[in-house]
Formats: sequence, C-alpha cells, structure tokens
Amino acid sequence: MNEEVIIGIDLGTTNSLVGVVDSGFPIILADDEGERLIPSVVSYQTDGSVLTGRRAMHFRMLEPARTITSIKRFLGRKFSQLSDEEVVDCEYSIEADSGDKISVRIDSDNSVTPIEVSSKILAHLKEVAEKALETKVSRAVVTVPAYFSNSQREATKAAAEAAGLTVERIVNEPTAAALAYGLDKLEDNQTVAVYDLGGGTFDLSILQMRDGLFEVISTAGDTRLGGDDLDRAIYSHLKTSIGFKKLSPEESATLLAAARNAKEALSSDQSHTIRLPFFRGSESIELELSRAEAEALMNPVIARTRPICRRAFAEAAGKGADAIDHFILVGGSTRIPFLRQKIEEWFNIEPNLSQHPDEAVALGAAIQAGILCGRVRDVVLVDVTPLSLGIETFGGLMNVIIPRNSTIPAKAGELFTNAVANQDSIAIRVMQGEREMARDNWLLGEVAIPFSPGAKGSARVGVQFSIDQNGILEVLARDTETGKDTVLEIRDAAVDVDDTKVENMVSESIDHAFDDMNERIWTEARMKSEELLPAVESALSLVGDRLEPDEIKKIQSTAAKVQQLLGGQSKDSDPLKEANQALDEATQTLAALLVEAAFEDTE
Amino acid sequence: MTNYFAILDLPETLILNQEQVAEAWHSKTQSSHPDATQSEGATENTAAVNQARAALSDPAHRLEHWLSLKAGQTSTDRTIDPGLMDLFTELHAILENADSVIQRNRKASTALAKALLSKEAIAAQLGLQAKMQNIQVMKNTITDQFAAFETEGGNGVFDNAGRNLGQLKFLRKWEQQSQDRLLSLLEC
Repeated sequence: MNEEVIIGIDLGTTNSLVGVVDSGFPIILADDEGERLIPSVVSYQTDGSVLTGRRAMHFRMLEPARTITSIKRFLGRKFSQLSDEEVVDCEYSIEADSGDKISVRIDSDNSVTPIEVSSKILAHLKEVAEKALETKVSRAVVTVPAYFSNSQREATKAAAEAAGLTVERIVNEPTAAALAYGLDKLEDNQTVAVYDLGGGTFDLSILQMRDGLFEVISTAGDTRLGGDDLDRAIYSHLKTSIGFKKLSPEESATLLAAARNAKEALSSDQSHTIRLPFFRGSESIELELSRAEAEALMNPVIARTRPICRRAFAEAAGKGADAIDHFILVGGSTRIPFLRQKIEEWFNIEPNLSQHPDEAVALGAAIQAGILCGRVRDVVLVDVTPLSLGIETFGGLMNVIIPRNSTIPAKAGELFTNAVANQDSIAIRVMQGEREMARDNWLLGEVAIPFSPGAKGSARVGVQFSIDQNGILEVLARDTETGKDTVLEIRDAAVDVDDTKVENMVSESIDHAFDDMNERIWTEARMKSEELLPAVESALSLVGDRLEPDEIKKIQSTAAKVQQLLGGQSKDSDPLKEANQALDEATQTLAALLVEAAFEDTE
Repeated sequence: MTNYFAILDLPETLILNQEQVAEAWHSKTQSSHPDATQSEGATENTAAVNQARAALSDPAHRLEHWLSLKAGQTSTDRTIDPGLMDLFTELHAILENADSVIQRNRKASTALAKALLSKEAIAAQLGLQAKMQNIQVMKNTITDQFAAFETEGGNGVFDNAGRNLGQLKFLRKWEQQSQDRLLSLLEC
C-alpha cells in the first residue's frame, strides 16, 4: 500500500474540517490560529485578492455580494432546478450561464462558478493540512451528503481536482460519522442510525456493523434542509418584528447573522436579546426572543426530517434491520435541545450523543483515508446509492436500472437494438430519482449508443451501467460480437440543440423570470391562502372542540387577516406571505390534533 | 454466462435462505472490496458480488437464474393464475386510491392541509399492508415448492418451475409497487 499520506476532508455547507490518521487514531488538524472548524466562506475582494475561511468571514456583513457563503447548496445543480426563493433569498447574486449552469456574479466584470468557489475552500484545507503535517499533500478523501446525486458528486470531485487534490474516495457524510463512532467497537455487532443535520443538508443512514464491515442498508435525505433553514425561519420572524419594509443586502446579512446567533445562544439559554446598534442610520434594534418562541419557529423545519427518517426505517426493515441499537446524532444543528427532545418523542429512543457534532464526519473521512493508505486495517465500508438510476423510456416513463439503496459498487446491463435498418445510434437519457415520470427526476445527461449498420433488430449493443464505490456513474457499451467495451460519455442533454438557441432560451427565461417574479410570488402566496382558508374551516369543524377558546380565536383572527389581504386591491406579496406564515404557525397545534384524531379513529 | 452461485461460492440450489446468502456476501466482500485490496478489478469484482447477492436474495430472480443455468431457459410463462387475478383486481383499486392520496398530499403546501389528509393516508397504508401480507403468503406457497422443482427436471424439463416463475414475477412487481406507495404514504 502507498505510504504517502491521504487526508480526510469534510466539505460542509457552513464549515469544513480536515483530518488524518496518526498512530492509528484519527485527528482533526488545526490552522495556525489553532482553529479546527474552518468557515466555508470565500470573499472576492475588489483588488482581485481572494480570502478564504475566517478571514473571508469578516466580510460577510460588509460585502455580502462579494462574500460567498453556503456555496455547497448550488454545487452540481442546474439553474433551472432552483426555486424562485432560492434565487431571491440568496445573499449574493446568482445567475445562469449559457448551459444552464449556475454562476455567481461578483461584480459587473467578474463571476465565479460553484466549483471554483468550492475549490478555494478545498485549497485552503489542503494548505492547513500541509502546514500542520509539514509535508506536501496531494490525495484526499472527501465527504458529501449521502443524498447527493451523481452530478453533485462529480462537481465535488472536480472542485477537489481544481484545488490540486486527487480524490481517492468520496464518502457519504453519515457513513463517515458511523466509522468515527464504530472504530473502537469493531468487535461489536450492532445496527445504528446516523441522523446528520448539517448547515444545509439532512441525511439519515442505517448501518449494520459486523466484524469490521460497516454496511449501509438504507439511506434517505434532503439536500436542501439544514441549519440555514432554521436561521431563515428565525430571520423571517425578526424581519416581521422590526417592521422594516425592505432591507438592504447589508441589513439583511446583519439580521441573518443575528438570527443565527440567537439560534445558537438559545441552545443553552432560555431567552436571548438581539441588539443591533445603528441598524439603519440612528435607529437601533433591541428584541427579545425566548427559547419557546424560537422552538415554535424552528418546529416546521425540524418536522421535515421525520418522514425522511420513517422512510429510511421502512426500507431498512425490508432488509432485516428491525432494531436500531443506537441513534447517533451528528451535524451542528443536532445541538438544539428541542431537536433531541423531538427525536426521542418521535421514535421512542434516546439519542446517542457520543459523537462531536462538528467533527465526527471529518474524523470518519480521516479514517477512510487511513483505510486507503494502509494506516487503518481490517475495516471495510460498504455504502449504497441513495437514488434509483434509470433511463427514460417510451412515453416519458422512468425505467429503473439500479434501484436506490443498492449496494455499491453496483452494475446492471441492458440490451439495445436498432429500431430501423442502418440506424447509426440511439440516444438515451439517463436519470436519477424516485418518480415514475422521467421529467420529475434528475436528468444526468444523454448517452449515444452506437450501432453497426444492418437490418432492423440486427445490431445489438449491451450497455452496462455501473456505479462505483464513490457513487459515481459510468456507462459502458459492449459490442456483443467483439466483446469490446467502450466508455460512453454522458453529455449534457441540451447539447443536441443549437448552442445559440440554448443561449437565447436561457437568457429569455431569466428575463422572463425576473419580470414575472413579483407576479409569481403573489400567485404562489394566493394559492397558499386559498389552500389554508378552507383547511382551517374543515379542521376547526373536525377537532375544534379540542382547542382552548383563546386558541380558536387566535386562529380565526389570523385567518381573517389572510382573507382581508387576499380580497384587497394591492397585490403586494410580502404582507400576504407573512399573513400566510402566521396562519401556518397558528395552526400547527390544530394540524397535530388532526393527525392524532386520525390515528385514534383507526385504532 | 454469469453464475451467481459460483460468484458467492454457494451450491447451485434453490433452497437457500437469506442468512446463507448474507454470510457468503459478507466473507466475499471482506476480501474483494476496494477498501481491502488494491488489486486491479476490485471494483468490478465487488460489483459482481453485490449483483449476485441481490439476485439470489430474491426468490423470483433466484429461480430464473437457476432455470437458465439448469435448462438454458429464460422465457417466462406470462399467464396469470385465477387466484392471482383476484388479488390483482383488489390491489389495483388500493394502489389507485393510494396514488390519489399521495398526489393530493404532494400538492398541499401547508401542514394543516396535509393533516386533513392523514385519515385517508392511514387507511391507505393499512389497505396496502394487508395486501402485502397476501402477496407474501402467495410467494411462500411457491417457494415452498422449490425443493420439488429441483427434483422435477431429470431430463431438463422444468415446466412447473417455469409456470411458477411467471407468478413469482407478478408477485414481486406488485410487492414493489405496494412498497413504493407505502413509502410515499409514510412521507405524508
């Protein structure tokens, strides 16, 4: 085995870490200020210099448009996949380039891609490791959310390569955390669940550990759910409370940072005062937020993790893991006492807090790096693919070729024949996802399968789809006569359209999007109101008798406010959105009562 | 052609239980996985080991593979037994109902609107679970005959096994469809 050191990197949404195995133990490396947690922030200065990590962090509120945070949420995605809110809420300006790729606009002359931003963070981590280890480093294990698609994994790999690192393995974050948990328990046989709620992503993985073999049996997640959403929930509340109509980007960034601080403080304190001196001109802000208020704001976000957990449990049960021995929490957001309490309530299991929320994933990455360079022995990590892989068939349906939760490396073959005489090739669209209709899934790209000339049905090409141990897809065509394999390129599906046409399409849709943005947001808000108002009525008639009169009154007055704005002349979406949100919050208990009643009825 | 039994060092028999397959996969993986060896083709070999486990763990797939090894037979009888037809009719209605609940739940954007659907969602779940139990019973009646299939084809004729393979494939498909709906309902 190669003796050259391999480092383990946790490339997080908000923070990143780098580690290595030293004398058999994984350790996290510190930078020259002694800090181990490195902010995933890159600041592009007006003089052309680029700051990373803590130094970039200082510019977060001063220059939000030039200081890129949470870039991971855009890595490997297409602009057209973003929701309006993701574009509008972003603290910096994002746009589409000609190929629907996302690009970050720094100023009128400069823009950068998510891969470039990520590579700056990775280069910073490489440097930290080189200083701490006093040696050159060129190989790394990098973690990604388990629920990352092929495109997101490819983008992560590309970012590492741009930073001068060869990626020896991509490891899923919850799986890495399980390694950190299990390294000193190799003799034990147990089934564990890892609940990983980080800054921007959520994963739940269930693993079986036996004789040094860590086997993931099911995984589920959401790559757009994390601590950032908790910050935003508190931020929206603060914004409404201070009553300023529009916020400048700087004010917005300041308020968002205050929301984050409040969230963090309220994990230990019962109440927190938000003080923002000279927030606007001479106006200062002082607001009180109690832990109970914050919990009510965070509840809808935290509740979104529950069905994902249930899904992963159900799929694991199918493979024989009925009992979870330990429910391990990792990721910064799992520090929130309310979240821990919820998990205990939902699943009737006491969460295992033995792992450091910020460091477990990086320690696991370091262990995996140690396995690959021979510093850790007799440990094998076996993961699964989170999403089903398939091809689009006749009628726009998705034909699954490798089902989700298949153990990787995985392979499956499919035979293709020519439909007409002398057809030279057939184009197939490759996708990942769980929906029946192809268009609802992630389109990975298009593959052209070559045929040799011949009568209809005479050309036969076996195509092998394989997913390697990194979760990355490869498509091979095997000529049935010669047995020769060729790697097929997975091209962006848009390339068969004329390039300029695509460019026009994209720029048109962007212009269109911004023209229409207000109208669209209003329509969205209106639809939400139209869904909520009758729902409130039905719900009150069904279980209203279980509520306190005060609570009913509050719901009714909140609903009346929505009704009034909906019928009003001004089509200003902000007040309606806020009223909807207030009604949404005011009806949480009512919703819970309905679910309770539904369960009672079936018993 | 690929022999999944050989890949996992298992005897070429239909009468394998999950534990035997799991055990064989476990020991193979510990030596073939790219974490354990730097030998060339580790990824390819491990992919084959994983493929073999997936195939042999599923009774329909195991029977199909065994038949193709023993009789060179891959065509499947696609007629449905009357008993299965009744199950299909019932299941079809239940799947459609589940789809409607799932659709409406996906459309609903608020916790309250989703909560209003929970009663229907629970009923749909229970209906699916009951049908999945029926499917399991029918699968068991077929797998119970596996030993008989092995002795059947002295002269390479496996008519009975071939017929039952068709039924098993239908059952597997319905089981997957039900499981998919059940998982989506869990997210409601």
